[in-house]
Amino acid sequence: MPGGALSPRSGPGRARRTALLGLWLLALAILGMLVVHRLRISTDLRSFMPAPTTPDQRLLMDQVGDGPGSRLLLLAIEADCPSSAQAACPALPADQRDAMLAALSRGLAASLKKDDRYTQVLDGNFDLGALDSALLPYRYLLSPTLDTQPLDADYLSDQLQQRLDDLSSPAAVLLKDLLPRDPTLEVLKLAQRWSPPRQPQVRDGVWFSPRGEALLLVQTRAAGFDPDAQQRAVDGIRAAFARLPRQAEAKLTLSGPGYFSVVVNARTRDQADWIGRVSTVGFVLLLLLAYRSLPSLLLGALPVASAALAGLAALVLVYPEVHGITLAFGFTLLGVAQEYPIRLLSHRRAGEDAVASARGLWPLLLTAIASACIAYLAFYASGVNGLQQLAVFTITGLLAAGFATRYLLPHLLPARVRDVAAMRWLVRARALVDRLPRPRWVPLLVAAATVAMLAFAPGPFWQNNLAALTPLPQDLLLRDARLRDALGAPDVRYLLVIQASTEQGVLVRSEQLAPAVDALIEAKAVDAIELPSTYLPSEATQRARQAKLPDRSTLQAALDEAAEGLPFRKDLFAPFVDDVETARVAPLLTPGRFAQSPLGQRLAAMLVHRGDRWLGLATVSGVHDAAAIQAMAAKQGGDVRLLDLKSAAESLVAAYRLRILKALAAATVLLVLTITLSLRSVRRAWHVLAPMTLATFLVLAVERMAGIEISLFHLIALILAGGLGLHYALFFERDTGDPAEQRRTLHATLVCVASALLVFGMFAWASIPVLRAIGLTVSLGVAFHFCLSILMAPHVRRD
Amino acid sequence: MLTLALPAWASASAPDAGALIASLGRPAPARTAFAEARFMAMLDRPLVVSGELAWLGGDRLQRTVTAPRDERVTIADGEVTQERAGKRPRSFSLRHAPQLQGLLESFVALLSGNAGQLGESFAIQRQDAAGHGWSLLLTPRDARVAKAVASIRIDGHGDEPRCMVMQEAGGDTAIDLLGPLAAKMPAAPTREGLESLCRAAP
Repeated sequence: MPGGALSPRSGPGRARRTALLGLWLLALAILGMLVVHRLRISTDLRSFMPAPTTPDQRLLMDQVGDGPGSRLLLLAIEADCPSSAQAACPALPADQRDAMLAALSRGLAASLKKDDRYTQVLDGNFDLGALDSALLPYRYLLSPTLDTQPLDADYLSDQLQQRLDDLSSPAAVLLKDLLPRDPTLEVLKLAQRWSPPRQPQVRDGVWFSPRGEALLLVQTRAAGFDPDAQQRAVDGIRAAFARLPRQAEAKLTLSGPGYFSVVVNARTRDQADWIGRVSTVGFVLLLLLAYRSLPSLLLGALPVASAALAGLAALVLVYPEVHGITLAFGFTLLGVAQEYPIRLLSHRRAGEDAVASARGLWPLLLTAIASACIAYLAFYASGVNGLQQLAVFTITGLLAAGFATRYLLPHLLPARVRDVAAMRWLVRARALVDRLPRPRWVPLLVAAATVAMLAFAPGPFWQNNLAALTPLPQDLLLRDARLRDALGAPDVRYLLVIQASTEQGVLVRSEQLAPAVDALIEAKAVDAIELPSTYLPSEATQRARQAKLPDRSTLQAALDEAAEGLPFRKDLFAPFVDDVETARVAPLLTPGRFAQSPLGQRLAAMLVHRGDRWLGLATVSGVHDAAAIQAMAAKQGGDVRLLDLKSAAESLVAAYRLRILKALAAATVLLVLTITLSLRSVRRAWHVLAPMTLATFLVLAVERMAGIEISLFHLIALILAGGLGLHYALFFERDTGDPAEQRRTLHATLVCVASALLVFGMFAWASIPVLRAIGLTVSLGVAFHFCLSILMAPHVRRD
Repeated sequence: MLTLALPAWASASAPDAGALIASLGRPAPARTAFAEARFMAMLDRPLVVSGELAWLGGDRLQRTVTAPRDERVTIADGEVTQERAGKRPRSFSLRHAPQLQGLLESFVALLSGNAGQLGESFAIQRQDAAGHGWSLLLTPRDARVAKAVASIRIDGHGDEPRCMVMQEAGGDTAIDLLGPLAAKMPAAPTREGLESLCRAAP
């Protein structure tokens, strides 16, 4: 057999190899085409968040993406002369600077209002266009005037006299165009009602912050946690700003949840890409160094390529959309698959046919593959869509890589190989490893230290804050708080939730709640609460107001009486009479009909249909006394509550973790069974599982001692490291009694450890906590698993 | 002399107007009585109010009306604040009222005697009348102001402005009689009557 393998391959053998390689590549190409054809990538971060279980958590997930608070972008324009153009824009006096910033603010607002990516643009500029012309007659049903005041001759007479005074005052310019249609100024009353509750300072007609930036509020149509859609919204704002005159002398800054999701996404992607490129180059160099054979390297890449394409194909067949993060993490986790060809390459002996090597290695490799798949099954059990996709991708990929390594790769590998067992440095390294003292008390000592470290580590054990995983630079958060305060923008933490069986029921409850809310504001428990009924009264209220509107002839008579002796031209107020008549007979304004106007969009975001119920979401600004608001809600009979999004998020994370831990426990039981069955010995299974378990807890203990709070991503990384560690333990445990084979095992393991450290060590240096959590945990894990597998390997103790 | 033969408006030149405007300057705070008649398309007869105009220095102007009803309007820092007895003060931005901006700019520049500043906002034409009478015709340079205000004419005598006529772009007109002339506002003014009052020698 050795002689046959050493001789050059015969002609038919070469042809078979070429045909096999061709078929393999063809299969990969077909998979690739399928993937390219079907792959739809989604970027909604919510599919990577845990599945909500309580109503509050479900509402949280809605709010995180779609709620009015999360769609709000806060914009600030400040004077800023780029240093390159210092001569062109000398420091302006304050009034000219304000005028310039105000002009920019107005220009930006004007162009964003024309863009349908934004549902609402507010810059402090008094805006009558918010209620479009077709809906204008509804002002009599929307404004509370008629509740206390009939449109009779007395009232109209008083109003007309006031308008006459207005006309002789400088305010005339504001009212002149409005007057014939709206002599009682209902539009102004509504504009006041719909302005943000706590207004920033207005200079030159637009909002200014105390430190002299012009401020705007923009509500996007896109959900807050859809980074791609938010990216388009942010790009649109920047492009509109760039088209304005004199924009070079000013700087636009953005804030708000949507903008943050864009920042986090871009930063994470940048770092992951950069690290990925560097570690790929390092990985290729490492393999070239280890095997010194380009064909081996290229062919060795085929199982991993198969893994990636098979995993992707499975994803596109099972899921309509694949999450971007699934792909990023998935390719990282597939690093395990690279072990299979590495094992095969390292374990080839001089003269042995590759197929025979693969056959000899296969039982152990199969155990390793099955164990890794079981560990990744824990992702599937987490119940989180993104993680389930990750499980489908990695398990399919690992199986594809494993079977390709066993049944395809050996037939292609070059017959002539360099047996690594003969390498001199490896002989010395193995001797060194064999000489290491292995006192029986080492594992006990490590275990005791681990327990002690876990017991005495500082700070809380678990990280419950979702935001801590994708944190923002402190300056961005401070700026957000400052702008939010200056704009009186709603708090993103609290929402007042009103529940009813119908949409109208929500509006009715909202109206009934108004006095209690006013009392809270009066008592300074909160700066403002914006109720849905502020924008649209219930149908009952509208109907009552409609009933109070006089018919055409009655109104005309009252108007004639009121205008008696006043200089208004005859028939000046015909548009007013027409509007009142329209309002009197018009169908009531429903949220659906209202939604065609920008303000109706605002309302639509506050009314949520959930199952058989409707929820009204009142935004809350400037909470000073959450307990008082809670107490008010508690008195309302169960259909009103204050939702604290932060505590809902934390309970969500805790529940999520519990599910992962349960899934892990189940996976551990399966793993023990699998290993025990495949090794057919409880004692051998113990030798494999003990170092792996100990190393896993050691990683946890070291990270806890370093003050790190354990998050979900640490747990996921521990599972990955555990999968790698299992390989090391399995191969070290294998008792061949052949020193050359032991050297090959050491070589394969060293290559695997080095490549894992290369990839994940890079991630450990990342500044994004998610990447760092994974990188650090896997790097530590790989190092501990390797050391403990060697120290606790059974056969060397016989010496 | 050739210049006398030219049409009167054409004879105006910047240095001329400059000297005149400089002579009109008063130290802040400067106050003057006023009576205003506003002729509007939507009204059958003009609205008449009277009171006091005060320049408080800088860009701050106060218009106090005492008849027929008390009202005080303050223009300061780009904001217009309207106060009436028994009502909450109402304020809005000067941006929304280009007419007011024109009024403010012309008034402030006149009272501070700052021809340069006035020339930045308006094209200035000067016409001299018999005796020491004169008129300054101000046409807004800012397109936004011009959309609302066609022109402002100030008539005066010696170093006293006597009238301010604001022609709005929509056709409405406001005629303000200033200083001692304010007392001469008729009960039922007409445009023509006020125009001749403005141009008459004191």
